[in-house]
Amino acid sequence: MARGNGAISAATGAFSALPYSLASRVERPDGKTSPEELLAAAHAACYAMSLAGELASAGTPPDHLDVHATVTLDQVEDGSHRIVASELLARARVDEMDAETLSRLAASASEGCPFTKLIEASATVTVNATLEGETDGD
Amino acid sequence: MATDRKAEVTWHGDLMSGSGRIDSVTSGAIGGLDVDWRARSEDAQSKTSPEELIAAAHAACFSMALSNGLAQAGHPADELKTSATVTFQPGEGITKIALQVAGNVPGMSQDDFRQAAETAKENCPVSKALAGVPEISLDARLEG
Repeated sequence: MARGNGAISAATGAFSALPYSLASRVERPDGKTSPEELLAAAHAACYAMSLAGELASAGTPPDHLDVHATVTLDQVEDGSHRIVASELLARARVDEMDAETLSRLAASASEGCPFTKLIEASATVTVNATLEGETDGD
Repeated sequence: MATDRKAEVTWHGDLMSGSGRIDSVTSGAIGGLDVDWRARSEDAQSKTSPEELIAAAHAACFSMALSNGLAQAGHPADELKTSATVTFQPGEGITKIALQVAGNVPGMSQDDFRQAAETAKENCPVSKALAGVPEISLDARLEG
């Protein structure tokens, strides 16, 4: 495995022949994707849909959402690798919304995202949502 | 050493009629991929979805784990062709993942290959992260 390499394609054709290797997974990516990067893309997309759904159900559909997901792979005690964290950051442009309501809906959007429920078997999922125009982390 | 991989998505509008885009990822290997609910839950129409990305992640992770297991057993693979099919049931979540692998592994028996594939399925980090999926099936065979 240390010297091997692979290529990844999607059935829909949305992406194809993406190269990957052990080095691109656990060291520097050098332009190559990795399973964890694909999971980050999956989680960000899943969460964006779930948050859009929660906001719409509350009568306040978003104009715009920016969602970042960062998935962390780490070596654990026995030397094996484990996906230990997925951190979700959302910035929302929503009319008539306060920070407290957004936080509540953002948390329930994570619970409603099927991928959050799954990955919690291995990883800690954190959610931080802010309204556009606010300072990050408030 | 811990490795972080990040993805950025923008979304406009509500869930049913809105749409989004996977703008970029750490490596730059993918970007500009459109996503929406209809493509996710009904007809893909050439658009990717969270489940397709999970399928790609799982197939890639499983292949690496199996490749490593085979090499450690003294039978490095010439080639592994793996597919992962993720089934998404709206309202329920991911209900099934079907892994299929065809291997070209000189000097290995069918049974030993199946055993190695089973071990990779149990132990690869993505399998562990997806352990809550109700059914993960595996079909492993040698080619040639």
